[in-house]
Amino acid sequence: MTGTVVCPFCEAENIEGADECEACGEALTDLSVRIPTTSVEADLLRDRIERLWPKSPSTVTLDTPVGDVLKKMVDAKIGCVMVVDKGKLVGIFSERDALMKLNTDAPKFLKRPISQFMTPDPVTLETSDKIAFALHKMNVGGYRHIPILFEGKLVGVISIRDILGYLTERIAAAARRQG
Amino acid sequence: MDFQLSLDSESVGSAYPDQPLAATADDSVGDVLQLLRAQRTGAALICDGAKLVGILTERDALKLMAAGADFSRPVRDVMSGNPATLPANATVGEAIRVMSQGGYRHLPVVDDDGRPAGVVAVHGIVRYLVDDFPETVYNLPPDPKAAPREREGA
Repeated sequence: MTGTVVCPFCEAENIEGADECEACGEALTDLSVRIPTTSVEADLLRDRIERLWPKSPSTVTLDTPVGDVLKKMVDAKIGCVMVVDKGKLVGIFSERDALMKLNTDAPKFLKRPISQFMTPDPVTLETSDKIAFALHKMNVGGYRHIPILFEGKLVGVISIRDILGYLTERIAAAARRQG
Repeated sequence: MDFQLSLDSESVGSAYPDQPLAATADDSVGDVLQLLRAQRTGAALICDGAKLVGILTERDALKLMAAGADFSRPVRDVMSGNPATLPANATVGEAIRVMSQGGYRHLPVVDDDGRPAGVVAVHGIVRYLVDDFPETVYNLPPDPKAAPREREGA
């Protein structure tokens, strides 16, 4: 059918060139040029990050000693902690930071505050953002964890493993539909 | 395009395996940690001769740092021995299954003689999956809020 474009968010049909979807009001300007060709692609553009059930973040504060942060990461079996200041996310500290910044000097730094080693101002996404954006950030930026905010407040974290789990689940679902 | 078919037929070599980063079992823990940093790599394959005998990942490194371990010890004392591996002819689908069942982030790929040929990581698999729909992922604006609500100049 020519002259129509399917909204990738709600799958309603719109007149080609429409700026917004008639049904859901999502902007079509950046998307109307092409229609997702597979159902997995459509899933990525429709599903929001909340669907990944972001895990509750483990938080520390700027002055938490490095040694305590490392213990927390090992005990809680997590790959990163969020550094918060007065309830606001100000940094992230991951296994990769430990490897790159502490390494064999770790014993010297155990009493230092984590603020000296964290990655400040991490990239974040909102629970309402599309999963495609998380994939974009992780794949292009090389991140393994992304803090998730709800209305600007830290509520969770998603990992590349969550994304892998989601993708394989959607791919399997697409295969089932094809029979 | 049938994804499931490609996952179960495509070789794990398509999932952007990293070059294997090898160390010997007699190397010190400290040397291996610094090697991981220098190569910006998440896992070192520990070999005895040409044969893979263990793996030391950045997760292991974190635990050693947290425990205040002695970095002068040989890595054979702290490595994970007999790591899960994939044969070179494994498929991407198998790599995903082994990773999610074992909770691994790095899987060494070994040839018939047990010699490491590469390391498959979660990032490489995700990149492989994204290759099937690059426009959806790579053409996004850097900020979700940046998509214009209105057509400019119209």
